[in-house]
Amino acid sequence: MVLVGFTLFLLAWLSLDDLVEDWSQVESAPEKLEIFFTEDLWPPDWSVLEAEEWADGSLHKPNGDICNEDVELFCSKAWTGMLITIKMAFVSTLIGFMFAVPLASLAAGNLTPLPIAIPARIILAGLRSLPSIIWALLFAIALGFGPLPGILAMTLYTIGYLGKLQYEAMEGISNAPLESAMAMGLTHSERLVHVVIPESSNHLLSQLLFMFEYNVRHGTVLGLVGAGGIGMYIDNYINPPFAYDRAFALLIVVFVVVVIIDLISMFIRSFVTEEGDVKRPKWWTVLLPAGTAADYYHKLSKGKKSDTSIGESE
Amino acid sequence: MVGEGESSGSVDATHIDDSQALVLQDLSVGYNQPLISNINKKIMPGESIAILGPSGIGKTTLLRTIAGLIRPLSGTISHDYPDRSGIGYIPQRLGLVRHSTVRSNISIGARSRCSKWYPALFPLPSELKNDVDSAMESLNIMDLADEPVRILSGGQQRRVAIARTLIQKPRIILADEFLGELDKDNVKSIIEATRKVVDDIGATLIMVEHHEERAIEMADRIWRIKDNQLFEEGDLNQ
Repeated sequence: MVLVGFTLFLLAWLSLDDLVEDWSQVESAPEKLEIFFTEDLWPPDWSVLEAEEWADGSLHKPNGDICNEDVELFCSKAWTGMLITIKMAFVSTLIGFMFAVPLASLAAGNLTPLPIAIPARIILAGLRSLPSIIWALLFAIALGFGPLPGILAMTLYTIGYLGKLQYEAMEGISNAPLESAMAMGLTHSERLVHVVIPESSNHLLSQLLFMFEYNVRHGTVLGLVGAGGIGMYIDNYINPPFAYDRAFALLIVVFVVVVIIDLISMFIRSFVTEEGDVKRPKWWTVLLPAGTAADYYHKLSKGKKSDTSIGESE
Repeated sequence: MVGEGESSGSVDATHIDDSQALVLQDLSVGYNQPLISNINKKIMPGESIAILGPSGIGKTTLLRTIAGLIRPLSGTISHDYPDRSGIGYIPQRLGLVRHSTVRSNISIGARSRCSKWYPALFPLPSELKNDVDSAMESLNIMDLADEPVRILSGGQQRRVAIARTLIQKPRIILADEFLGELDKDNVKSIIEATRKVVDDIGATLIMVEHHEERAIEMADRIWRIKDNQLFEEGDLNQ
């Protein structure tokens, strides 16, 4: 095992060495990065969280409409751009999911015979073999700039990507409930809806929420090819006249939104996982040898039984 | 019920048409290599059969073959059970959908009584919903109706699996060690509940069992597997 690991690592290193022609460029990288960070990025320009103030002193939204909101943030580029990106990601994830699940069920080996599963897998592979930015470019040529090409691009990519993840999750479920359902004569769609989806719900939900988060992040990139949303503003700032500090502020906004989505995802998934049944360890127990942490919990439970307050004091 | 050494065919099946029987003819089961060969048996409606034998000898494979989940290596299985709901199969691991509620799990069995054209996304017809409630009541799991199966005890999960199978009103129930390692009290109450409902719907019961006493308590006929052959209790003693 160690030998295999070492060989793989060695192969990776040799490949890297083969790909990099001039290692001297790495030497000056930290210095260049430091200059870029201190002179262009830092501090972030938080004016992106404010409405635009025109020459007459009036406040406006990025699209030129007068800002009538009580909170100025709601008229800012960060808010309006993020809202468009989130809406685009939401629509594409939901529509993509609706197509991905039936396609994944056709591609799953434990649900469908190979002559059907293989074409379904080829379709899914075809959809995800083009990155969504290429799909966006194709749709932008056909439909012009704006959120619609972005939504269509992300939807197609979502079907391909989510479909792949989901047929693997479906194939991973226990055979027993499926066999019971097959013996009683349930159809493919009945097995999918009443056995496979609930049984793999933890994975499906996790992948769906991950895809939404992915689409929010990716919506930012698609904005660079004119698909609208916060990416469009970032694109404006990283092109002349450069305003990297504003782009950096918008990237921090994207990061915060992604963290919030991750927390929501954790909360939603808690309804279908078994982690609620297990007592969560204290954070510092990860630093201790296993036996020490176990001793602590034994003392804790004894203390609770005998009504001493070891646990309460922690 | 038969004791050890009694011969087969103790059920009076004279009034039952032979065409309703489950017939295993020259049946060989296994994966690539036969685990059990040359099975010739006729099982009449309403009979209870227990299959005994050491682990890995092919008991589960025989059950899965009768359930239509794997192909026989040779021979035939003939019956006139309907395609849907005719066969109820309780696998060793019970085959429950762990993240679904007790009610949803039992509804899966009830759904097999709908036409195969009934849309999967539609809720169950109201008469079947009532049947789901009755099944839960008869197995004393009504108060667990909205609990996810994963939080139930082993005994409660077995009751759910039995309710899901019984609500199908199957013609044959194939149960693979469905009593597991439950304690005596639980086993007794589950056997009673199962017997009652099996008798009510007049189903044939074929079960794999490790515990000989349980098998004798529940079954009319005992099959033993030895040296790749299936023997009926009685045959062995002849």
